[in-house]
Amino acid sequence: MGQGGVSGGAGHRTLGTRRRLVPYGLLSPGGAYLAIFFLLPLVLMLYTSLQSGGVLSGGFTFTWDWANYTNVLSAYQPQFIRSIEYSLIVTFVALLLAYPMTYWIAFYGGRWKASLLLLILLPFFVSFVIRTIQWKFILGDNGPVLGFLKGLGLLPDDFRVLATPLAVVAGITYNYLPFTALPLYVALERIDKSLVEAAKDLYASRWQAFRKVVWPLSLPGVFAAFLLTFVPATGDYVNAALLGGPGTRMIGNIIQDKFLTENNYPEAAALSVILMIAMVILATIYARILGTEEATRAAAAA
Amino acid sequence: MIDRGPSSDPIQEIMRRRLTRRSVLRGAGMGVAGFSLASFLAACGTDGGTGGGNGGNGGNGGFDIAEIYAGEPGSTLNFANWPFYIDQAKDENGNVYNPSLALFEEQTGINVNYEDVINSNEEFFGRLRPVLEAGDDTGWDIIVITNGRIFTALALNDWVYPLDPARRPNFDAHAATWAKDPFYDPGNEHGMAWQSGITGMAYNSEMTNGPITKLDDLANPDKVGMGLVGMLTYDMPDFVMINLGIDPKTSGPEEWKEAAAWLQMQKESGTVRNYYGNDYLDELRNGNLSACMAWSGDVLYSNIWLGYDNLEFVFPEGGALLWIDNMMIPAGASNPVGAMQAMDFYYDPEVATMVTEWVLYMSPVPETQQIMLQHADEAEAEGSKGRANKLRATAESPYLYPTEEFLAKTSFGRSLETDEEAAEWDSIFLPISQT
Repeated sequence: MGQGGVSGGAGHRTLGTRRRLVPYGLLSPGGAYLAIFFLLPLVLMLYTSLQSGGVLSGGFTFTWDWANYTNVLSAYQPQFIRSIEYSLIVTFVALLLAYPMTYWIAFYGGRWKASLLLLILLPFFVSFVIRTIQWKFILGDNGPVLGFLKGLGLLPDDFRVLATPLAVVAGITYNYLPFTALPLYVALERIDKSLVEAAKDLYASRWQAFRKVVWPLSLPGVFAAFLLTFVPATGDYVNAALLGGPGTRMIGNIIQDKFLTENNYPEAAALSVILMIAMVILATIYARILGTEEATRAAAAA
Repeated sequence: MIDRGPSSDPIQEIMRRRLTRRSVLRGAGMGVAGFSLASFLAACGTDGGTGGGNGGNGGNGGFDIAEIYAGEPGSTLNFANWPFYIDQAKDENGNVYNPSLALFEEQTGINVNYEDVINSNEEFFGRLRPVLEAGDDTGWDIIVITNGRIFTALALNDWVYPLDPARRPNFDAHAATWAKDPFYDPGNEHGMAWQSGITGMAYNSEMTNGPITKLDDLANPDKVGMGLVGMLTYDMPDFVMINLGIDPKTSGPEEWKEAAAWLQMQKESGTVRNYYGNDYLDELRNGNLSACMAWSGDVLYSNIWLGYDNLEFVFPEGGALLWIDNMMIPAGASNPVGAMQAMDFYYDPEVATMVTEWVLYMSPVPETQQIMLQHADEAEAEGSKGRANKLRATAESPYLYPTEEFLAKTSFGRSLETDEEAAEWDSIFLPISQT
């Protein structure tokens, strides 16, 4: 530190400037990374979304073609709505599954906490797609689960899970569960256990202690878990593509089709922009309604 | 010799089983979350390259064949193809190699870098487009593209080199009539067939109520059950038109709507399980589909070579869709002379047989049939009767060597020539699968 000041040949004034610059120095690698790999693509996406043309006539040109937006909005409304519906269901189910689990780990995990947490993360060590393809095998019409149950006569022969909304929602829930669990765990872990004891000392029942102490203190975690699950789940396309059927396509699938099947890059970009804006608006409304300042900070921290 | 009897490596068989040409799990491509972003960047990044955007339009880019094919071939050749679409064998050390390519390398001294990177015409094209628009070398000397929209876009925009008619003696001598001068590429100006195939139907005889013979069976719950039929998104418009008695090649929006109405009716009948890109085959083998649209080679391989006796390939009563995968040379390729040499090399009947015995699609060289039967006799003389029978069944399959009468009942798909047409086509057909 000091050496810098000496080599600069100036007094504490320069040192002060240096100190002020340090944060920016720390920020710059990440900032540059985001500028190149987030901001630039974002600008290009906006640019592409206003192009017109086609692959048969030599390519696309920038023409302020706002019709891309109106076209996709009118054509793909059902898929937008479906994506948000699925994603909301996924988020609530994931919260219901993850909350008791992380609560138990945080409060009763003891010295096994780290190992248990690792177990939650374990699926991440296998590729997302491979895991989803395995689901396809497990849930096959005559696969290990349904085949067994059908063999026992517990299910009718024509029963199936694959190619239904259930398979898609269940698949997304499974894939995003760790995103829900981690922020919940962080929030629950931070709760001072003596507060719960204090509540009980003051004659609160177990339920009351949970409702008045644990739940409010864990809200920042719930808030963060909601956002971290809801936003990516809405844009998910792998599950609907692999596990779904007719009538389960989500907006991510449409964007993929536009891009890779139709080679209609402007409309693909327009859909992406709309999805992004919709997510930002929904998240903001959500933060306004539910978010305390603390919750917002927790979400940002997570 | 190609080693692919039942005695060949089981691992290889399993791999092949999971990943045949076109039935590669689409997921593998989709899984790379970064991919779409990366290609997006690429797609947008070079947009400026065309300037007015119509720079390449018209197909009169003024390529000079003499200039393109001047000089000696380069020392390396980059060849992009579909997965499991070329002969394979193992050397003494157990390394997989491609015998026909090895032969080419030996004969010419050209080093071939062969990669099976194409999983879909549209996706592969999406990756090349920005480079082609900018007028740069894509890094490939040969690519394999199915007749259709992407083929047209490449030819129309001068994104591929015209081929040199003087440099294909084998092609002139041995190519099948259907491979010569196809309607979508007069005079084989831009492409030469690699393999071809038929989109027909397949069914699992354990799951259907009697044999499936015609298109309407796929919309009949009494025959195929509810939610057990697989449709192929890319091929179904043309396939349905053919089976409704419409010639796709001369069809217009009215006919398209007729086909779309059939597809809508089928969807409402409740028989459809899903609309597939290229991942239907595992579903069919696993018993998740009772019947589906299918590519000939996929089903033949499962049936003849892997012993799926319950799977049948069907040539529908109303006709079937014919497609050709074509070798093309992208504009800017660094070794067009070598590419031309390799393309013609694969029209040598012996070489063509090496490929066809392995991939089981329709060879553009009809003489391969006799050679394959010869190989069957040889195999029998050597005492491997199983292999001999399989080779014979392959060589006698009408889906590999169709008769004229048979071909008369197939038709190519509609060639979309303009963006307006393509947009109309998409607006009629995509809503059916995109729900």
